[in-house]
Amino acid sequence: MRILAVFEKSERIRHIGHLDIQRSMQRGLRRSGLPVAYSNGFNPHILITFASALSTGACGQREIMDVTMAEPTDAEVFLAKMNRAMPPELHLKEARAVDDRHPALMGSLRAASYDLMVYDSQEAALLNSAIPLMMDQPSIPAMRKTKTALKECDIKPLIYSLSGEGQHIRAMLALTEKEACKPGMLMEALAGAAGLKEPVRFLTTRTGLFGENTEGNLAPLELL
Amino acid sequence: MNENERFEKILEKVQKAPRYTGGEMNTAVKEWDDCPLHFGFCFPDTYEVGMSHLGLKILYGLINREEWSLCERFFMPWTDMIALMKEENLPLLSTESRHPMHEFDVIGFTLQYEMSYTNILAMLDMGGIPLEGKDRGESDPIVVAGGPCAFNPEPLADFIDAFMIGDGEDVMTELNRVILERKQKGLSRKECLRKLANLEGVYVPSFYDVEYDASGIITGIHPNTPGVPETIRKRVVTDLNQTYYPEEIPVPYTEVVFDRIMLEIMRGCTRGCRFCQAGMLYRPVRERSLEKLIDLSEKLVASTGYEEISLSSLSSGDYTCLPELIRELMRRMKDKRVSISLPSLRIDSVLKESLEETQQVKKTSLTFAPEAGTQRMRDVINKGVTESDLLEKVRDAFEGGWSSVKLYFMDGLPTETDEDLDGIADLARKVVEEYFRVPRERRAKGLRVTVSASTFVPKPFTPFQWAAQDTIPEIIRKQDHLKKVLNIKGVNFNWHEPYVSFLEACVSRGDRRIGRVLLTAYRLGCILDGWTETFRFDTWMEAFKACGLDPAFYANRERGRDEILPWDHIDSGITKQFLWHEKEKSEQAVTTKDCRKGCNGCGLQRWKGVCGYANPRSV
Repeated sequence: MRILAVFEKSERIRHIGHLDIQRSMQRGLRRSGLPVAYSNGFNPHILITFASALSTGACGQREIMDVTMAEPTDAEVFLAKMNRAMPPELHLKEARAVDDRHPALMGSLRAASYDLMVYDSQEAALLNSAIPLMMDQPSIPAMRKTKTALKECDIKPLIYSLSGEGQHIRAMLALTEKEACKPGMLMEALAGAAGLKEPVRFLTTRTGLFGENTEGNLAPLELL
Repeated sequence: MNENERFEKILEKVQKAPRYTGGEMNTAVKEWDDCPLHFGFCFPDTYEVGMSHLGLKILYGLINREEWSLCERFFMPWTDMIALMKEENLPLLSTESRHPMHEFDVIGFTLQYEMSYTNILAMLDMGGIPLEGKDRGESDPIVVAGGPCAFNPEPLADFIDAFMIGDGEDVMTELNRVILERKQKGLSRKECLRKLANLEGVYVPSFYDVEYDASGIITGIHPNTPGVPETIRKRVVTDLNQTYYPEEIPVPYTEVVFDRIMLEIMRGCTRGCRFCQAGMLYRPVRERSLEKLIDLSEKLVASTGYEEISLSSLSSGDYTCLPELIRELMRRMKDKRVSISLPSLRIDSVLKESLEETQQVKKTSLTFAPEAGTQRMRDVINKGVTESDLLEKVRDAFEGGWSSVKLYFMDGLPTETDEDLDGIADLARKVVEEYFRVPRERRAKGLRVTVSASTFVPKPFTPFQWAAQDTIPEIIRKQDHLKKVLNIKGVNFNWHEPYVSFLEACVSRGDRRIGRVLLTAYRLGCILDGWTETFRFDTWMEAFKACGLDPAFYANRERGRDEILPWDHIDSGITKQFLWHEKEKSEQAVTTKDCRKGCNGCGLQRWKGVCGYANPRSV
């Protein structure tokens, strides 16, 4: 059996990269004393996967990991033991036991919701008022970084929703193994639409990960 | 923007921000206002180095364990961070609660390496604390320091208010109590320092005067304040089983240099290698019991989740019950998937059986430290190891499935000739031959023999404390020679530039006047001198010149028997007479036996009941 757990990556540790978060979770699992499963082979490691790597510099409110257990484990016990074993900066919020046949998280991922907090309130106001303007355009060109170059692409079909209130811009953006709109791409395009010359300073918080339910609507990935 | 917001802002721009953000597992979550005493533990190097240091973890746990004291960490920021902090006019902040340094009551530096001294000045400066003790006022923290380099405190005498000499576990709490008293009773700085000077093992340099002759040689070191001791005797914890050891240690998010549990199995060493300062300073040898170590390792594994335990000491192979310890640790850790490693493996001590057990979980490269290439040279330095010992252990390792071996040597040792250097190459060649002697089907693929040579630095409290270091041109000539003779297939040769070793020799045996050089070098921009990319040798030489001091006086001058050495008022337990006797024996390549085989009369026998191997008759 497996446990799907929702955890938070706090603002304080937002500069910790994904690999280090993975290792910290593994050590947390080892401290918890929970019966986790290990891979076979020369260097056995804990069988753990993450629905999506969170960028360095971003906070996460509802990140999801998938842990394979060696013995049946109650989700509440998992949650309680893990929270005793983790620093407050990596707090677990929910856990759910699933069958081994439960589809892999990564394959079901469709979108992520974000809260982008703009530090400068004047800039935030300009960005907010530029949202309808930008969304009315037939296409929204943005620069996508590939391994080797910058590529122009249209992010309009990747923006599922976008709104602004005060210093916060909230967005639901496509996130699959094939295509994704990163918050940076969105903010750059929006800053352009708002006529801002300088790059905007903002704090990224990924607030949720989403898949598709049987009706074809976006739904929290951890509940699917 | 407030201080914290500005700090967050620069974190977005800095390389390796996790160095500065804290929040790691098992880091203190004590409330600032709940504790009357605030201790800032300063590691004068980067986070990655500092978080690999065992002493930090011991004292961090020890201070935070007391309900009245709180300990938070400070590390040396990297150059990019320093520049950004300056730009934003931000002071150095503690890793935990982000309090500026000057709000702490005690600032404590650990002195592991002389090349970190300018970092101490930089950290004090960024922390808003006057660099020199004489300029500090009633509202400034007391600045203290300890660690192996505190045994020659003189180069830092101007900057550190009080030094802790020897084992820190007991004296740390005593010192904190005095500083708490200062705070609560409003003791003046001077009164507080006087109380500190009366603690055993504490040295307050401002209470002592040093006189020199015209050539710069010391003619006297005397107390200038009534009631302070003539000599400062180091602190020794006698029973490690009764001494504090942390059961929880911080677990960094990012990888640090030693990212594992370090289990100190014993302290001290009985070998008496003549170049080794730690071997003299940490005497006598004291072991933790097997039961205690098993208990500690289980607790540490449970509280950290680490995958590896390394048995740590100066000479782990000498631990009395080493095979039993390894076997028992293996048995208990196998299901937890924790591997056991022995870092300072001595070639004449670890049993073949233990080697085989280590490999059962994980195979790493094996390290041997013959230190010198010929038997004569090894006898000079009293490294009681023979070539056949080494080759036998290497053969066992190759047969046990290892293919990677590291060999550590020194160049520039007293009495060294080119023949001794050639001996290093001979030994490396013989190690390669041992590998090929193991049948192809039984040996692991990919032979890698790494030979590392470091330049010898004479250190205080060793029999070589009087010795002249080789000059830089001579070291370069010797290194070039080694490069030539070590051009052997399967062998990699590593060496270091001699400039750092030269400077290390100046500072490690420096007197108080070196403090001026440190300050000048710092003012001229020297920091992070332990890092190749930031080390500026020419600037250091400029600083010496500006202070009217000749570095060769410190590094390349042989001292006489009767010369007063800058650290003569510090009693390390070892007598000067013993060290001189050892120096004379070294010149004749005569060895001294391991203390476990009988007392050699190093001086510790003067202190009743401190050394288990002491013979009172050998005074």
